[in-house]
Amino acid sequence: MSSDDGQGAYHHVGLQDENEEHTGGCQCGAIRFRMKGTPLDRSICHCRMCQKAFGNFYAPLVNTRDTEFEWTRGAPKRWQSSNHVVRGFCGNCGTPLSYEAEDGLAISIGAFDNPTPLMPLIQFGMEGKIEWVDDLSTLPGRRTEEDIEFAPFLADIESYQHPDHGTETWPETKDD
Amino acid sequence: MTDAGHSGGCQCGAVRYHCEALGRATICHCRMCQKAFGGFFGPLVTARGLTWTRGGPDHFASSSKVRRGFCSKCGTQLTYDWGGEPEVAIGTLDDPEQAAPVLQVNPAGMLSFFGRLHELPLRTASENTQAAAFMADIVSFQHPDHDTGQWPQEQAGENGRD
Repeated sequence: MSSDDGQGAYHHVGLQDENEEHTGGCQCGAIRFRMKGTPLDRSICHCRMCQKAFGNFYAPLVNTRDTEFEWTRGAPKRWQSSNHVVRGFCGNCGTPLSYEAEDGLAISIGAFDNPTPLMPLIQFGMEGKIEWVDDLSTLPGRRTEEDIEFAPFLADIESYQHPDHGTETWPETKDD
Repeated sequence: MTDAGHSGGCQCGAVRYHCEALGRATICHCRMCQKAFGGFFGPLVTARGLTWTRGGPDHFASSSKVRRGFCSKCGTQLTYDWGGEPEVAIGTLDDPEQAAPVLQVNPAGMLSFFGRLHELPLRTASENTQAAAFMADIVSFQHPDHDTGQWPQEQAGENGRD
């Protein structure tokens, strides 16, 4: 906790409309979900299990136990990562979707259509924290179009990612 | 990591890779990387001389130019393949500390709270009674952070499970 101001800011983030609705899904759109309510258990976990499961530096998760949650399209494929935990992902595109343990079903924050209202409130698994992870936000930045020299293919790229909202059909009907 | 190059793989160990050297390491804030990784950014490093040493990834074409590789058994995101030297997800390296990012790509997509995450309160597993009980008898099925002779490994013995 760096300051009272910081604590206040995080508390404010938790005070949201109880009727709020959060939707999301995997990158390809084969799996979609909806969560109604205000989830207060929102975290990032630095443990080595979460790092490897997410291929990342930490796993951002929101526990759905105090909300109404449902899979609205498809269902995740699951792998048991320990005797206590099952992790779900999309079998078609691989997006990490869930962490399922005795304390409830937790969903990857980055898989939500709008992750911004779901800011984490606590850090877990400090024993696995990567030493430079706190400094990432201070790195120099470069916009995608400025990176064309490094990645020329970006100039005329066409995304196949599912949009950040619900859709009637999947895959979406093309113009052909 | 071996004496020469770097190794890594997915969580379950069905897919393992080795590369001769690591190139530029970045985090990408674009919405494509966020959703693919289910996270706040995509952590990627160029893998020079990449070879698959066990199994291989499934792929999803996330755009007309890029396909992303993942383990079909456990889901771990493994690669960002744009046709040139592929990039691997830094968290899948057996030693991610070896690939400290040097650049943030597409900062326009950065989540508003990204720069404040390090200010969040901390909790270690042993400080929380419920978590301590959870961890007391946990048996990880994750592949170890080094290459192994066979997969799946024999569970009997060191982990005390059949």
